[in-house]
Amino acid sequence: MIRCENLHVTFNHGLPTEKLALRGVDLTIPSGEFVTVIGSNGAGKSTLLNTIAGDIESTRGKILFSDRDVTNLPATARTKDIARVFQDPLAGTCGNLTVEENMALAYGRGKKGNLSFALNNKLRKIFKEQLSRLNLGLEDRLSAEMGLLSGGQRQSVSLLMSALQPSSILLLDEHTAALDPKTAALIMDISSQIIEEKQLTVMMVTHSMRQALDHGSRTIMLHEGKIIFDLAGDKRAGYEVKDLLQLFAQARNDGEELDDDKLLLGE
Amino acid sequence: MSLFAFLGTLEIGFIYGLVAMGVYLTFRILDFPDLTVDGSFTLGAAVTATLIVLGYNAYLATLLGTLAAASAGIVTAWLNLRFNILHLLASILTMTALYTINLRVMGKPNVALIMEPTMLTPFEALGIPAMYMKVIFVAFCAVIGGLLVAWFLNTQYGLAMRAVGSNKRMAQANGIVVNEKVYVGLALSNGLVGLAGALFAQTNGFADSTMGIGTIVVGLAAVIIGESLFSTRSILIIVMSCIVGSILYRVAVSMALNADFLGFQASDLNLLTAVLVALALVFPKLRREWKAKKAKGERA
Repeated sequence: MIRCENLHVTFNHGLPTEKLALRGVDLTIPSGEFVTVIGSNGAGKSTLLNTIAGDIESTRGKILFSDRDVTNLPATARTKDIARVFQDPLAGTCGNLTVEENMALAYGRGKKGNLSFALNNKLRKIFKEQLSRLNLGLEDRLSAEMGLLSGGQRQSVSLLMSALQPSSILLLDEHTAALDPKTAALIMDISSQIIEEKQLTVMMVTHSMRQALDHGSRTIMLHEGKIIFDLAGDKRAGYEVKDLLQLFAQARNDGEELDDDKLLLGE
Repeated sequence: MSLFAFLGTLEIGFIYGLVAMGVYLTFRILDFPDLTVDGSFTLGAAVTATLIVLGYNAYLATLLGTLAAASAGIVTAWLNLRFNILHLLASILTMTALYTINLRVMGKPNVALIMEPTMLTPFEALGIPAMYMKVIFVAFCAVIGGLLVAWFLNTQYGLAMRAVGSNKRMAQANGIVVNEKVYVGLALSNGLVGLAGALFAQTNGFADSTMGIGTIVVGLAAVIIGESLFSTRSILIIVMSCIVGSILYRVAVSMALNADFLGFQASDLNLLTAVLVALALVFPKLRREWKAKKAKGERA
């Protein structure tokens, strides 16, 4: 379970460039729930994810994982509970390490590395099995350098890596945005499989209204650092992309402008 | 080249192979260009030589010299991580401070080790001529050092260190404490370089306050020559190629200095080194450009 209580984040505090990125976010996500997060540029979606992951320190408020207060834990200490996939396919893997070395790192996520060999045949077998799920032929390229793989392949491996170690929370930050439609669909497919299989609590940031409604069981919309909309259950089932667009338009009519209309369009 | 000169070249080559491994750890593994080594090479030599003259066991003295050099690396890492001083500048600061510290440690510009018992003394009883004995001894040290470094980089801890140098964000998202790896990496790197300094002092019979000048360039030259010889992903081969690169560098330099028709003098060493490193750095890029040009010509 993730709980955010009155979460505030301010960048450049006290400077002319001060920005209130999050302004009092209250959010409870029960275990096993899959929440999609939408909102325009600068609404605070990524900030919220990064704050939960511990990359950004909150200025006020609390973050709890299953009643455990983690507000003051550094990002590395939270990795026991959290797996992440980034938007940039290059960010989630090390380009000059091999595929198997990258996977070994993810396999050790949240554990203290010791002085035994990082790779062995037992691990290679596990990695091979996992990679064969992708049907990309990567199971035969364990010792290939990660940098030689395409962006889509790297993102696929990042996704597998996020599931190598048991975790309760998965944070997906527009993880299909940089990919071509076909690869994006494949990645989304595997994501759903993994989430179901491991019963993960998921937050997925996306710019695609379609994706936001098609996946998960709840959708929240952020605007100006606040949750302005929380949609779940039957009400959500009846929602279409155009209804979401209307909500966006409403948010804009409240006197605050959206940066780019294109962002509002579904796929 | 005479046999004697050749053995001398090998000896220095093996010693600087350890330096090259240290430089490889910082420049290549951690992506942290560290110039501290110019000072820590001398520090390792100075501490070891001073302790030996004071009557300490040579092995203990070498260990302490190595640890002293490792702590110099920690200082550089601290300046960089704690105070956000640019890594190059942080290492230059430590290096500059070490110049004074080395003079203080020795109490004079140089310490002679002639007639003092060194790490080699126990092996003199074997009856092998000293000039061979020295080469065998330093070769053994370099190879064992290389095996240990390669082993370390293949462990869970070592792999985490490589991830830190490759992609900090990814490392962090996988629970790796970045700063700790940088501290340990710089300590290891400078420890290796200090060990090389200690071996140099004992095989050459002296420690001198200026002996460390240019250590970084020589180490880098060895790394780059080694890399251009073997294109491989195997860490063991890459680390061992540091030793090969170091020896080849020494052979190239001594041939250039010994070729009478070139008219070089011993004092031209630094210029030769700089030109050699520049060539080694430029060559891979030029080769790519030539290849690209050729491919273009074929298509047209």
